[in-house]
Amino acid sequence: MKKYALPLFLGAVLIVAFAAIAGSGRNASDLPLPPAIGTMIDDFTLPDADGASHSLASLKGKNGTVVIFIATKCPISNGYNDRMEKVFEDYKAKGINVIGINSNSTEPAAEVKSHAAEKGLKFTILKDDGNKIADRLGATRTPEVYLLDAKGKLAYHGRIDNSQKAEGITSNDLRDALDQVIAGKAVTKTDGAAFGCSIKRVS
Amino acid sequence: MKSIVRQPAIFAVGFVASFFLGFAALAQTPSDSSAKLDWLSYAKRLGHSFEPRPRGCFCDEDCYAAMLERQKSQPRFRLQNPPLKFKAEPAGSKSDNDIRAIDLEGLKKVLQRDPNDKRPLLLNFWATWCDPCREEFPDLVKLDADYKDKGLNFIAVSLDDITDIKSEVPKFLNQMKATMPVVLLNVNDPEPAIKVVDPTWDGQLPATFLYDKEGKVVFKHFGKIKPDELRAAIDKEIKK
Repeated sequence: MKKYALPLFLGAVLIVAFAAIAGSGRNASDLPLPPAIGTMIDDFTLPDADGASHSLASLKGKNGTVVIFIATKCPISNGYNDRMEKVFEDYKAKGINVIGINSNSTEPAAEVKSHAAEKGLKFTILKDDGNKIADRLGATRTPEVYLLDAKGKLAYHGRIDNSQKAEGITSNDLRDALDQVIAGKAVTKTDGAAFGCSIKRVS
Repeated sequence: MKSIVRQPAIFAVGFVASFFLGFAALAQTPSDSSAKLDWLSYAKRLGHSFEPRPRGCFCDEDCYAAMLERQKSQPRFRLQNPPLKFKAEPAGSKSDNDIRAIDLEGLKKVLQRDPNDKRPLLLNFWATWCDPCREEFPDLVKLDADYKDKGLNFIAVSLDDITDIKSEVPKFLNQMKATMPVVLLNVNDPEPAIKVVDPTWDGQLPATFLYDKEGKVVFKHFGKIKPDELRAAIDKEIKK
């Protein structure tokens, strides 16, 4: 047995070292990663603030669908209320629908409803209890946008534009992607990073 | 002219006025050039740099305009990091002056590090409007207290709006009794700043990065930190 001791020990060291290397490369976030651009987004069903169920398929636009994770209390998301509503109004006639999803466990359906009324948000807002859809799409913050093309494939993911303040916008990422999706072109900038409030998940 | 000066009252006014003008002229000229030199060398010893002093010139209009431009961009003396503090601050409090606003270039400088600073660097990106950031902050304050003297360079980078630099940000830091250096990243477009820190980061907050002495990322975490994990990573770097 003794003559195997050294090789066994070396083997154990190798395994531990390998585990350490593999471990260091893991996802730095505890949350699931978002699907890659071009991935088909599976249908899902969620209730709106009144409790009525809607499927993604029933809400999708002819030319594409904008899914935005939003919040009632987040100042960053609230700073985008007017811009989100404007995208909904501007692109309605172009065959695009906008859907809001509230996945915050701290913001109940009644609050989502009164917030939408107060801020003049007319697009459908769904309540994602248990943050199941946020988990499935790897959404981490509000506002965070997923643009699906006419076929339901993810075409753009990320921010609405480059500036929290409307007067500082120099890159209208969502609108640029929408125009390209409507024209049937490939989206040139498929993601956009920005700071936003974390989605409050159930613990 | 002669007849005016002969009147005693006007003579008196003129006399007093010239007296004042004389004093003003005296005040303009340096009284002792050696004293001035001493002050300069003293300030230089303190580590302050001085911009070159623009020189006057006899020239045409274009040249004069160029000189004015130069003067605009080169103030005569610019004292960097003024050594004087006018307000006495109670220990453990964060005055408004302590929070420095930085732009993208400033962030790059933070990341490039001072080559003479051989301490590991911990960066935490946070904002007062970010709830998980507020929740993890007491752990970061404790961590700062424990590792400050053990050779950890910890900088908290606030993503609050620049208009909150004298209100919300110091208010929160005071509540937390935070004493680590805090900078506020003031950029219109956050994407270049996010990508310069980590190309895989999408802006989720809080975000925490630990760099080794060479500036390599040895630990990163998006979302609320797990203090034990972070402390283990810091311990490893400090022992190196």
